[in-house]
Amino acid sequence: MRVLIVEDETRIAHNVATALREGSGFAVDCSDNGTDGATLAGQGHYDLLLLDLMLPGMDGLGIVRQVRARGDATPILVLTARSERANVIQLLNAGADDYLTKPFDLGELLARVKALIRRGKGVAHPVVAIGRLSINSIEQTVRCDGQLIDLSPTEYRIFEYLIFRPRAIVSKRELLEHLYDYRWEHHSNVIEAHVSNLRKKLRVMGEEATVETLRGRGYRLYAPEKEA
Amino acid sequence: MKPRSLTRRLIGGVLLAEFLCAATFSGVAIAHEMHGRRRAFDVMLRGRADSLMGAVQDAEDPDDNVMVDPTELTLPAEDAYAVANPAGRVLGHSPESSPELLAVLESAYPDGYFNFKVAGKSYRALRTPGMRVIDREEKKGAVRCPVTVLYAAPTAHLWHETVEAVRFYVIAGVLLLVVTGLALVWLLRRWLSPLRELAERAGHVSAQAWGFVPPEAALHTRELQPIASSIQKLLHGLRQSFERQRQFTGDAAHELKTSIAVLKSSLQLLSLRPRTVEEYQGGIEEVVVDTERMEDLTERMLALARLEEAPVRGREPVDLALAAQSVAERLRPVAELKQVPIEVTVQNALPVTMPLDDAEILCSNLMMNALQYSSPGSGIAVRVESHAGVTMLLVEDHGEGIPVEALPHVFDRFYRADVSRSRNSGGAGLGLAMCKAIVERCGGTIEIASTPGVGTQVKVTLPAIV
Repeated sequence: MRVLIVEDETRIAHNVATALREGSGFAVDCSDNGTDGATLAGQGHYDLLLLDLMLPGMDGLGIVRQVRARGDATPILVLTARSERANVIQLLNAGADDYLTKPFDLGELLARVKALIRRGKGVAHPVVAIGRLSINSIEQTVRCDGQLIDLSPTEYRIFEYLIFRPRAIVSKRELLEHLYDYRWEHHSNVIEAHVSNLRKKLRVMGEEATVETLRGRGYRLYAPEKEA
Repeated sequence: MKPRSLTRRLIGGVLLAEFLCAATFSGVAIAHEMHGRRRAFDVMLRGRADSLMGAVQDAEDPDDNVMVDPTELTLPAEDAYAVANPAGRVLGHSPESSPELLAVLESAYPDGYFNFKVAGKSYRALRTPGMRVIDREEKKGAVRCPVTVLYAAPTAHLWHETVEAVRFYVIAGVLLLVVTGLALVWLLRRWLSPLRELAERAGHVSAQAWGFVPPEAALHTRELQPIASSIQKLLHGLRQSFERQRQFTGDAAHELKTSIAVLKSSLQLLSLRPRTVEEYQGGIEEVVVDTERMEDLTERMLALARLEEAPVRGREPVDLALAAQSVAERLRPVAELKQVPIEVTVQNALPVTMPLDDAEILCSNLMMNALQYSSPGSGIAVRVESHAGVTMLLVEDHGEGIPVEALPHVFDRFYRADVSRSRNSGGAGLGLAMCKAIVERCGGTIEIASTPGVGTQVKVTLPAIV
């Protein structure tokens, strides 16, 4: 998952970014002004936008409006130091999904970010089950019949991304865009290596569900239909 | 105390005045009419008395030279009369009059008109001397017989007739009073409606609703216009200062919340998972720096609040040049680091009345601002000079300048001219607001002129101590 933080107070942006990377294994990009933030948000790589309300350049409300005007449904969480009701109502009506007032609790922020991403993918519960597999997006674990499958953080992130888009073909490019932030050098074969490892680990558990490779098109989570 | 109504008092006053007018008018009319009637009555009395004289005739009786024969007279029955000779003997009187009436009439009144009352009835009477010349025997010559004629008539009908005559005027007066009274009530209500409207509008003003638009009618009334416009001005001023205060509180809360958010998130990040000693140390160092920044922010906000509220305590003279030089000296390390030399020129500088601390804050804020926006290699010129009773402090830099649209707001609290580098450039946007408060507190002015790309000049003018 990849999150964009637009916050002019760089220390807050840094802290939140670090927490999201460490705590949830997300890829995070930061922007310290509204104009750059709006440009980045326009690229559509993000699974969540975290916006400050008062920003130099373009304010949070402006970005929300721009994103929604484009028909982009990416979840948006707004941080605000002003908790005036009118502002909050205006924000939510403009298309923001949630808000937090400063000073916020970092744990709460992380929980809300995860919940919003989940909701954005159409999933309500943090534990998703497919066949014998169950994926806990809070603990970041994958279990097969209750037995833990030991996945590396990147393997988990790839699997989590695919779980949230069942039966859809996800291109390698999309995976790269959503799993890595701009600090990483993009090597497309990195994904292939991780997918290959992931497949091996699933096979060891005797799991039928696996990640299919559709040559030239991308990857798909394959889960055999349960027999009635 | 029960509030007194202006409308009621006005209406009451005018009605009272009208009533008095009408009453006086009626009274005068009655008095005048009465007077006329009384004179006519007197003339009538004399006429009747005279005609009574005509009835005095020769008497057969040789002792009584004359006698009264009223048979040929047509006099009102209620009138009383008597004719007496100088000796007081009654020669004749009205036949139908009561003895009491005659007794009173014949009592010793002096000649002329007189009034009396008998049995509840008022009479006016005339006592007049007369002379009857009798020529009974021509050879003897005429005999002159003096007599006294007394004639009285009741006056009750006089008052009645007067009232009858004046009644038209009295009724007209009362009618007029009622009509004008009603018209007045209506007109006064109408004329005073701007006052009522103004009061009503003013009554709607509260701490929550500042909106006050004086009614058109009040603005076009000479007496109300000053009240309406001063209420409007007062409310406008109050509202502005209230808004400014609220803005300040909001901004201060925003700044403090942001600072706390930095601290809180930094600490929570540290405790998110177990970390190495180095990570903890680094984190603690950052938090210490953040705390210092917050401390600085709080100090500045409190300083600004103090500057804007408390009046100047001491009136000690301070040498602005000395303050500028010492601040420049203190900032030298920063200036060297940024490669922006600060040059202080002093020319005949007279002292000003300002607390030393404030003078230093003023110089330091202005120079720090200049340093912040100057590019390496340029310089900052600080001049302190006095002429014509004022001491001027000029701080000029050759930095990036301030955009034209930002210029009017640079003295606003928490305003940052360059938003894109806002927080990273350090300041909380209070520096110039503090300068303004310091200068204005001492009766001076501060102006700023800037050309983007060329530089900024701040001019402080303070009254000098000669």
